Amino acid sequence: MSTSAHSPRQGSHCGRILVIAVHAFTQLARMKVFYFLAIFAVLAIVSNFLDWSQLAGPEAVGVNVLRTIKSTSFGAMHLFSVVLSVVATALLLPKDAEDRTLYTILAKPVPRIDYLVGKLAGVLLLVFVSLVLMDVLMTVVLQIRTMMVAAEQETMAAAMGYTPEAIASLRADTLANGSSWALQGAVFAVFLRASIMASLALLVSTFSSSTLFTTMVSFVVYFIGHFQADARDFYLQAGQAGQGGLERAITLLVALVLPDFQLFNVIDAVIEGQALPVRMLGQLTLLGLFYAVVFTLASWFIFSDKEF
Amino acid sequence: MIGPPMAETVPAVEIRNLVKDFKTSFRRQPLRAVDGVSIRIEPGEVYGLIGPNGSGKSTTMKALLGLVAPTAGACAIFGKDSLKVDSRDDVGFLPENPYFYKHLSGAETLRFYGKLCGLGGRCLQERVDELLALVDLEAARDRRLGGYSKGMLQRIGLAQALIQEPRLVILDEPTAGVDPVGSRQIRDLIFKLRERGITVFLCSHLLEQVQEVCDQVGIIFQGRMIREGRLDDLIAIEDQTEIVLRDASPGLISQITALVENTPGTTLVRTGKPRTTLERLFLREIRAEER
Ligand SMILES: Nc1ncnc2c1ncn2[C@@H]1O[C@H](COP(=O)(O)OP(=O)(O)OP(=O)(O)O)[C@@H](O)[C@H]1O
Ligand SMILES: [Mg+2]
Repeated sequence: MSTSAHSPRQGSHCGRILVIAVHAFTQLARMKVFYFLAIFAVLAIVSNFLDWSQLAGPEAVGVNVLRTIKSTSFGAMHLFSVVLSVVATALLLPKDAEDRTLYTILAKPVPRIDYLVGKLAGVLLLVFVSLVLMDVLMTVVLQIRTMMVAAEQETMAAAMGYTPEAIASLRADTLANGSSWALQGAVFAVFLRASIMASLALLVSTFSSSTLFTTMVSFVVYFIGHFQADARDFYLQAGQAGQGGLERAITLLVALVLPDFQLFNVIDAVIEGQALPVRMLGQLTLLGLFYAVVFTLASWFIFSDKEF
Repeated sequence: MIGPPMAETVPAVEIRNLVKDFKTSFRRQPLRAVDGVSIRIEPGEVYGLIGPNGSGKSTTMKALLGLVAPTAGACAIFGKDSLKVDSRDDVGFLPENPYFYKHLSGAETLRFYGKLCGLGGRCLQERVDELLALVDLEAARDRRLGGYSKGMLQRIGLAQALIQEPRLVILDEPTAGVDPVGSRQIRDLIFKLRERGITVFLCSHLLEQVQEVCDQVGIIFQGRMIREGRLDDLIAIEDQTEIVLRDASPGLISQITALVENTPGTTLVRTGKPRTTLERLFLREIRAEER
């Protein structure tokens, strides 16, 4: 028979992960998730016309419209990224197991960690691409609108007798509310939050048997993650006031296992026009990486002993 | 690269005292799906595992592929432990009732599995074309698998199993749900594999086909191997001899009958016309219609 068959396998971890990731991406893309982007486009454009009624003064006009655009866009990005990362991840694994396509994949020389990381990477790739597209759309709308608002404010302010210095500072204020690097950083923070959610859903789906269960558990963890900082503070203070150390240990453990999503509140601050310190972004990136890696390793731990 | 000469002495499949229990519920005792099965398949052999539904055939194959972990015993493929990933370098698997990604076309499916095995570029493209031709799916190569019939899925599954030119192919009911013509094609394919020196481990409920293609047969019942050996040895009826005549006159028959009756120690078991099998009849009629 042919001798080429026995040449050593060239496949690497990265190669296989990429194949599985691209496949998961295509699979999701062919489920028509990108239709959501059309809805997003409509939202981004409609938000242009909201809040346009009260023309109290030049300052209010600029800030309100631009903020509306930003908060609507970020709201949609937030919703889309979290829902997509949870639902898509929760869907992919049980589907493969149920359809027995998993047999054919694991019967090839594919380590189980490659399979898991590949699926996760596929979902994240999809979220990333969608966020980039939404970001581009938002930035374009925002840019156009900022210019229009700035011009409008100038004529209005001039008519109202503002000094040239006042007009210049007003313009600077308006531009600060337009597209900025801080805004791009905030979009990246949205992505980081989504990747924590995706790896969490991956972990849950390795031991749950249904998409529904995975989705529900993931969202419960998500909500707890929003409240856990408050709970932690509360318990730690209570502990100092003389309560048992057990609660403290438990809350600390919860704090370690469940991500603290309140850290992502900086996104709201950015929408308000504030800057995003690089240190903060770095901290969020580390947080995202930490949870993605920990959750993926835990999934591997469960998945490597799983039978089908 | 030419394999080391050592490789030929290593069995393609070695299953030693495999036991597999499945947990059913917390209280009841576990279900023993496979109970002390040992199978050894030499390179180049075609091995058929037969047995009633639920006797543990698929479970044995899954254990061999590392999809389930044995409760006791061990499995190895070309000397490599099944629980290790590298044991799957040289094996192709067609699961029972295969079901692939519906959103991929036939060619995309094969490319996907090829890339998982580390193939790529021209080599992969040629392999995909070759396999699509082999399983007769060239016409459907760009159609999505969602629209494939059961027999087509079975054939794309077979092509997928062969993608990296494995030395061992494991087929779990390769002819289930395939029409007689298709199942004959699959049988011919297995012959081709055997000619090329590829080891085949299959299980099937079509005993006739097992009989045609297999060198070795094992019969498994309720998780235990009840009979195993070379097919020819197993099915020969040692104390009987068959004579088949064409256009024999009634006179000749009576002469032979008389001769047998006059020979002490020999008895005539039966005379009559040999029957064709239903399968052969079906194929003959189909072919006649096609002309
Ligand atoms: N994942 C599982 N969990 C629990 N029991 C299982 C599991 N897989 C198989 N079994 C049980 O193990 C036994 C053997 O199953 P197996 O699928 O190996 O049979 P089979 O010989 O392939 O049957 P068939 O001819 O119907 O395909 C059956 O009783 C089945 O119920
Ligand atoms: Mg079976």
